[in-house]
Amino acid sequence: MQDLREKRRVTLVWWLIVLVIGGLLVWGTQHNASLYRDPIMQVTRVQTGTATHEEDDFHNVDRQTKQVLHGRILNGKYRGQRLTVTNTYSLSGAMDQHYRKGSQLFVVVHQHQSGFTATAKDAKRDTPLVFMLWLVVGLLLLIMQFSGFMAFLSVAVNGVLFLMAIILNGSTQGARVLWIFGSLAVVFAALTLWLVIGANRQMLITLATTLGGTALSLIVALLVFHVTHEKGMYYESMQYVTQLPRPLFLAETLLGSLGAVMDESTDIISSLFALKRERPELSAGQVFKSGRQIGSTIMGPLINVLFFIFVADTFPMAMLYLKNGNSWGYTFSMNMSMGVVQSLISGIGIVLAVPLASYLASRFMEKKVRA
Amino acid sequence: MSTINVLGLVLLVLMVLVGGKAGLQSFLALLLNFGLLFLAIVLVAFHFPPLPVTLVVGLLVLALTIFMSSGDDLSSTVAFLASAAVLVILVLLIVPVEHWALVQGFGPEDSEDLEGLSVLVGINFIQVTTATAILSTLGAIAEAAMAIAAGLSEILEQHPQVTPKALLGDGITVGKQIIGTTFNTLFFGFFGGFLALFIWFTGVHYSFGEILNDKIFVSEILMILFAMVSVILTVPITAWVMTRAVANQRRRAAKGVTKHDTTEK
Repeated sequence: MQDLREKRRVTLVWWLIVLVIGGLLVWGTQHNASLYRDPIMQVTRVQTGTATHEEDDFHNVDRQTKQVLHGRILNGKYRGQRLTVTNTYSLSGAMDQHYRKGSQLFVVVHQHQSGFTATAKDAKRDTPLVFMLWLVVGLLLLIMQFSGFMAFLSVAVNGVLFLMAIILNGSTQGARVLWIFGSLAVVFAALTLWLVIGANRQMLITLATTLGGTALSLIVALLVFHVTHEKGMYYESMQYVTQLPRPLFLAETLLGSLGAVMDESTDIISSLFALKRERPELSAGQVFKSGRQIGSTIMGPLINVLFFIFVADTFPMAMLYLKNGNSWGYTFSMNMSMGVVQSLISGIGIVLAVPLASYLASRFMEKKVRA
Repeated sequence: MSTINVLGLVLLVLMVLVGGKAGLQSFLALLLNFGLLFLAIVLVAFHFPPLPVTLVVGLLVLALTIFMSSGDDLSSTVAFLASAAVLVILVLLIVPVEHWALVQGFGPEDSEDLEGLSVLVGINFIQVTTATAILSTLGAIAEAAMAIAAGLSEILEQHPQVTPKALLGDGITVGKQIIGTTFNTLFFGFFGGFLALFIWFTGVHYSFGEILNDKIFVSEILMILFAMVSVILTVPITAWVMTRAVANQRRRAAKGVTKHDTTEK
């Protein structure tokens, strides 16, 4: 009983520590203006003008309001300087910002003979970003403890690798994007599985399944592309493209499906290893069958995870297309079709990984038991 | 035939070959989910309020995904109730953070895509971006809730008399097993989608400070973080709902037995 109370007190202390760190981080990012080179203005007073009525060619009605922001500069050589900035915001706010008292924003300061004027550039957003990061890491460590730490570590390591690969891609002008991210996928998978499972036979089988499933899905996709001559593939609808779109699209799909295939093969193979440990008398055929059964219950939800990640992202742009008088079909083609193709290719990888995982596990566990 | 149709057909055939009836059902659920997502976009474009539309569509998506895959009754019901609870908590988190971060709509990187489009359409884009963030996490919530519920229902099968408190602890243990791989699914899923954007940032030589405050970057990273929070929260909430469900079941079973006894006498 004493032990339990002691344990509870320790947990409470941890929660408190995490809360205090969170408060410090949020406070810190609100006062970190001196770390930035661009001048940041804190709004101290807002004058709101009258709203004007706007209507476009498609009878969309909106309202625009002008506001005059008074504030002072927090950093750099203009530090302490009092300035006024005019800003226009709309009811929908797709491309503009509604600033309030206390908002911090980046400004461009112009120096004249008579004094200073400034124009608003963009809002400062690092505080909410840091807050959410803290929330995720805090919850992860408090609820999942060591496993949470390992999960965080593997994501962090993968993030660093990802960054390095992007820089490498930039230095080759994107000529080898598929090679860079293809080899990166192998490193990603090996490293993550090593962190999650440890270095053993189970990890090797899972790695083989992950790489095999992902590679098979790309091969199937390329075959289908060849047969259909890529009809209905709107590479021009991809966003933020600065290099050849087709290899970039394949690299995106490869990375996107890698995590899900890895997730699935880990699940199936660890269940099969546990099963074999409990009932060593099972034959390879029976193990294969239960692997298929486990796989067929988890493949649907996993395809769904990727589908929502790939396609939900297109919501704002698709809605804008509809509001600009485009048909449903055109809106789908220009915004959602590439995401759907990505989900389908990943889905094929996820489904193919089920028999692959079951087969590899049933064959190679057998040897282990005999040896 | 267009590429999408052929790929869809290949997926359907493979799912039926591997999963039989369960595979067919999962494929249907996927199709219906796409229909629901498109319906949400059309409804918002018709000026239905984005948040209520998202909540209703979100609940329907969770129900479809969970009940159309082959779990037992208890774990499906628990997974659905838990994921619905997580959805509500998530809305309470996403709405204020999106207002705070000012990441609604589009950024300067989108200007090329926006050419010729009118952006003053009279629909509040803070709410649209909130809806987007909620919808993109739905799949992850459903998957995590189902995994935890299935794991716990298996434990219940092997040890039918496990106490609620131990069951709660077991839930966290199951959660610890899946959290590493689930996080990687989310990480790769999202980063695969953002690859082009990150290449843009390095290509155009954004400074570190500019990236950290960039509208699109912050909006995308927030989406990953929301998804991660929702998966973490799904673990204890699903375990808790499972203990409640089991407690209810046992109480009802105890009552049922006594009633049965009296009628027999």
